[in-house]
Amino acid sequence: MRLFAVGLSHRSAPVELREVVDFARGGLESALTALAARGIGPESVVLSTCNRAEVYALAESDAASEHIARFFADYHEIDHGRVVEHLYVHRGPEAARHLFRVAAGLDSLVVGEPQILGQVKTAFTTAQSLNATGAVTNRLFQSAFTVGKRVRNETGLGEGAVSVSFAAIALAKKIFGDLTGLGVLILGAGEMAKLTGVHLRAQQVRQITIASRTLATADGLARQLHGRAVPWAQLDVALGAADIVITATGATEPVLTRSRIEEAMRPRRSRPLFVIDIALPRDVEAAVGDLDQVFLYNIDDLQGIVQENLNRRSGELARAGAIVDEEVGRFAAWLQSREIIPTVVALRQRFEAIRLAELDRLGPKMSSLPPEARARLDEITHLIVEKLLLTPTEQLKAVTDDAMVVAYSDALNRLFSLAVDERRARSVEESSESDGAPRSGRPPKVQAR
Amino acid sequence: MHLVPLILYAAAAAAYMAHFSWRDPRTGRLATALLAGAVLAHTFLIGMQTVQAGHAPLVGTTAAISAFIWLLGLSYLYVELTTDERAMGVFVAVLLVVLYVIPALDPTVSPRPPLLQHPLFTVHIVSVLFAYASFALAFVLGVTYVLLFKEIKAKHLGFFYARLPSLQVLDVMNGRVITIGWTFLTIGLTAGVIWATQIQASPDPRAQAMGMGDPKILVALLSWGVYSFALFARRAIGWSGRRAAWLSAIAFVIVLLNFVPVGYFLTTSHNF
Repeated sequence: MRLFAVGLSHRSAPVELREVVDFARGGLESALTALAARGIGPESVVLSTCNRAEVYALAESDAASEHIARFFADYHEIDHGRVVEHLYVHRGPEAARHLFRVAAGLDSLVVGEPQILGQVKTAFTTAQSLNATGAVTNRLFQSAFTVGKRVRNETGLGEGAVSVSFAAIALAKKIFGDLTGLGVLILGAGEMAKLTGVHLRAQQVRQITIASRTLATADGLARQLHGRAVPWAQLDVALGAADIVITATGATEPVLTRSRIEEAMRPRRSRPLFVIDIALPRDVEAAVGDLDQVFLYNIDDLQGIVQENLNRRSGELARAGAIVDEEVGRFAAWLQSREIIPTVVALRQRFEAIRLAELDRLGPKMSSLPPEARARLDEITHLIVEKLLLTPTEQLKAVTDDAMVVAYSDALNRLFSLAVDERRARSVEESSESDGAPRSGRPPKVQAR
Repeated sequence: MHLVPLILYAAAAAAYMAHFSWRDPRTGRLATALLAGAVLAHTFLIGMQTVQAGHAPLVGTTAAISAFIWLLGLSYLYVELTTDERAMGVFVAVLLVVLYVIPALDPTVSPRPPLLQHPLFTVHIVSVLFAYASFALAFVLGVTYVLLFKEIKAKHLGFFYARLPSLQVLDVMNGRVITIGWTFLTIGLTAGVIWATQIQASPDPRAQAMGMGDPKILVALLSWGVYSFALFARRAIGWSGRRAAWLSAIAFVIVLLNFVPVGYFLTTSHNF
């Protein structure tokens, strides 16, 4: 059984292809169902965001990656050749590493963006609800969530806004705390004004007022932002009611002069005013920033903040990478220890079979013994087998090296003629794992027969 | 005896500093635990002193400082646990350690003279000390407000920007603790005045000196005036934000001056 990660992302595929290869469009459920119908393997999860489409699967044969690639093409009804050159394939621990990097936001277009972790969670819970996951994918995704959380908590990777609009909102929050209940005034009706307005709307500000030299354009933007438009002549009144002012007019002369803001500040007392000037040329006189309780930021200031945040994020990459390495190591060790389990189970079964056979053979001789003595005999033989197997079991489970697993399995197979039938072993392992038998070193049947 | 609380307060201050610098949540929890431990050890110490002396150790400036530290630590822990905001801890903890050096150097408990065996004395001391603890928190809030304000104003978003809560939160909290502090200062001073008039007949020269001529009383009334103005200014003329922050910072400096140098060297009536 092998773990595969097959997919494409903004790193490997052009946007035209990413638009087509989109599992989310038809619903993750239908994609998972279609994938399961192909019988590639017992466990699978489909992850789909606007920048990536990936399938994580546990499969028997190494050809599974081929089958998954074909599924990518068939499901989206496109030419196989067109997809396959943009697909990446990761196997075993490398598949885990890839998912961990994705979950931590290390593989994102904007490094450290937080939404991806939620999308990974959705992918997993959807697969889980369709019973498409199993022991390996459960563990894999739980580890991925751990990585995501650790990177967020232990590094500064997700810190600081990395777009001008979000930088402005982060600043507003640092000044006003909660933005609900604040008044926003937008001067001008350009694209940037609209974008910042949309973000502020999402923060549930109390009122968005738009003033433009032509009332019609102000009206247009007001409708889009569910705000209200005011004529240019009422600008000073609107200024008095605003907490945040965004200026984005095409004026060549400053619209907000120092004296105008000074006048507007008078009745406000100490209530702060946050002025964001995203116009070029400037709409606000630089001297406005000298007024007490007025915070003036222009587009260059905001871009400077964004650049600083991006620099800081790239500085945190190494720390995030170390967390990923650590968790990959942990997951790989767990995956490896699973591979030895069929051998362990077969070994235990072999010993148990010998014990039972011997007890059976001695059955007639023991028939004269009282039941308590027979029960004691059963118990003692069982304990001997357990004691003999205890150290080998522990040693085997501690093996993490791929070659060693093969070597040990091979040696044990020969020495005890085990001939591990993987499927049977696994089913036994799963049933016995449920009552914790192999780990506690006691098989399920302990009672005297 | 004072060594255990001192070490714990110092360890808490160090942990708060580490938390403030690196923002590791585990260090933050450790800092809170250490401060809680320090306050607990301090409580135990005050309890032992009470049992030994037969009265609460409130007599004399050193004992008052010790009680002030204890109240401030307790108040801060309450604020931290209710607001889940640890950024102020570093400032408070450092103040605690610096002040705790005084009781640590002079661990003796002054006997309680008969003059002070009146319930009004206890009301006076405890109310005033609690007011001072609130003002200390207001001071920290004011200082952090100014630091954050300067960073945002200068468009240089750095150290404090990443660590402190918003200006609005700092301002609202500042207003609240000043209201609480002013209320207790008013109660404490009123109790003090009533009690002072009651002991006028006493031959003790300190009882005779209880009046406006004593710097300790004068400066206490001055700080009451400053905080009253701060409250009035916030409510009536809209002095919030930076002005209120400065005011609370300066006012606490007056309080601290009154508490330590005046309390030790200048007062003629409060030198028990």
